[in-house]
Amino acid sequence: MPSSTTDHASRRVIGARAALIWGVIAAVLVTVASVGVFLVAPEDADQGVIQRIFYFHVAIALVSLVIFAVACVAGILYLRTRNVRWDDVSVTAIRIGMLFSVLVIITGSIWAKASWGTWWVWADPRLVTYLIVVLIYAAYFVLRSSVDDDRRLRYSAIYAIAGFVSVPLSFYSVRIAQSFVHPVVFTSGGANMPGSMLIWFLISLAAMLALFIALLEVELVGRRTERALRALSLRLESS
Amino acid sequence: MSMAVNRPRWTRQLAGLIRKDLRLELRTKETVMAMVLFSIVTLTIMQFGFGTRDDDLTRFTGGLMWVTLAFTAVLGVGRSYVAEREQRVLDGILASPVPRVVLLAAKAIAIVIYMAITELVVIPVVGIFFVKGPYWDSIGWIALVALIANVCIALSGTLFSGLALFTRARDLILPVLFLPALVPVVIAGAGATHAVVGGPHDMSEYRGYCLFLVGYAILFLLVCIATYDAVFDD
Amino acid sequence: MSGGNQYVVAAYAVIWFLVLAYVVMLGARTARVGRQVEAISRMLDRRAAESDTPEGDDG
Repeated sequence: MPSSTTDHASRRVIGARAALIWGVIAAVLVTVASVGVFLVAPEDADQGVIQRIFYFHVAIALVSLVIFAVACVAGILYLRTRNVRWDDVSVTAIRIGMLFSVLVIITGSIWAKASWGTWWVWADPRLVTYLIVVLIYAAYFVLRSSVDDDRRLRYSAIYAIAGFVSVPLSFYSVRIAQSFVHPVVFTSGGANMPGSMLIWFLISLAAMLALFIALLEVELVGRRTERALRALSLRLESS
Repeated sequence: MSMAVNRPRWTRQLAGLIRKDLRLELRTKETVMAMVLFSIVTLTIMQFGFGTRDDDLTRFTGGLMWVTLAFTAVLGVGRSYVAEREQRVLDGILASPVPRVVLLAAKAIAIVIYMAITELVVIPVVGIFFVKGPYWDSIGWIALVALIANVCIALSGTLFSGLALFTRARDLILPVLFLPALVPVVIAGAGATHAVVGGPHDMSEYRGYCLFLVGYAILFLLVCIATYDAVFDD
Repeated sequence: MSGGNQYVVAAYAVIWFLVLAYVVMLGARTARVGRQVEAISRMLDRRAAESDTPEGDDG
């Protein structure tokens, strides 16, 4: 019977297994990272307990750059192949990237409040650049919702590429301006982190990366299912 | 689109190109005039927005100049595809054997010219309005950074205005797309201007910002060349 | 300086809350797909009923 083969094919097209596997990996890694950050990692000598924000804050910030890179590459692949699956990847990645960038801003703002007493510090390059990044990618959704059909996919892909070019430019411009105005403000650990902290930072980084992949896979499954369903209902209506 | 009547194709193209040229001729004056006026009005508003009538804004010269120029750029860039908003004009251009990159270059050069004319007015006016102290000896440096920044504005501007062209509410979409990408240009332009006027007079700082702008222009040039075919792929 | 506990808790609470909100949003989308599936299966039922009554033809 043809029904069993289409069923099999659609299962392969939708690809739900990856979502499941990555969901489990993300859950495990996030749990391990949370336990490590709160219970195992040593207290920072200067900043005390506040420094514990750093692990997820910086991990999310780094992963969000990876996410926007993924969106850019998917945009390039869409323009080359005109395969709608790449548009799925691109738009989904940017949605998750927005979530992550907003998280960077909020956690960074809380950190600023905790260490400098104000919610917003223009001297903190990470806070400022992620504000610009959020503005850049918020425009992506405005653009996307105001064009239709083929143009929507094409323009989205082009903007995903142009947006990703704007990201390093914003990073660099904020930092050179910063370096002329204030010599060194805030290094947030970075290279001079002791090994026991570095381990937990790397685990947090892996956890956030896995969280991204899991969210991406889940949402891709949803998008593919929606599309399969739309095709199915069209076929039923025409028959 | 509703006006696309079933006429033979060559007349449509011809009519489109002629209309486009006529409009271009009429437009050049009206766009540049609007940009100049807009920038002067904006500078005036800045003075009142930043404090009382006597405040010394020399320190903020770079910022005032480049915020004004960024908004003016949005205005000017938004006009650059006015003729092509008519679907058949665009059809005519795209059907003609002119390569897309030439179309891109033509648009970008037009923006550079519009911006340069605007700056010819804005840069002296900023000096008269805001600067108390030496200004006119460093005007060459300001002109140089403005020239580099114009190329940046033109390249990212053509790309984003091409994207905004067929969107709903395009006049609203363009600033939303274009201004975030202009933030680095404003930072660098204002930084470079500040370095020579009202600031530390640090030429290495000035050079750093200019090099950054050159990098910006190169990156956006690459993006434009890589994606421009896809923008008008109808 | 170790009186910053509330800030650390707040930061991680925000992370958890927003990630969960995102997942809930994904869930809402799945629910919409589910409703569409129900609509389609109702349509199929109706169609089967219609083709059954006049002809009695099943294959």
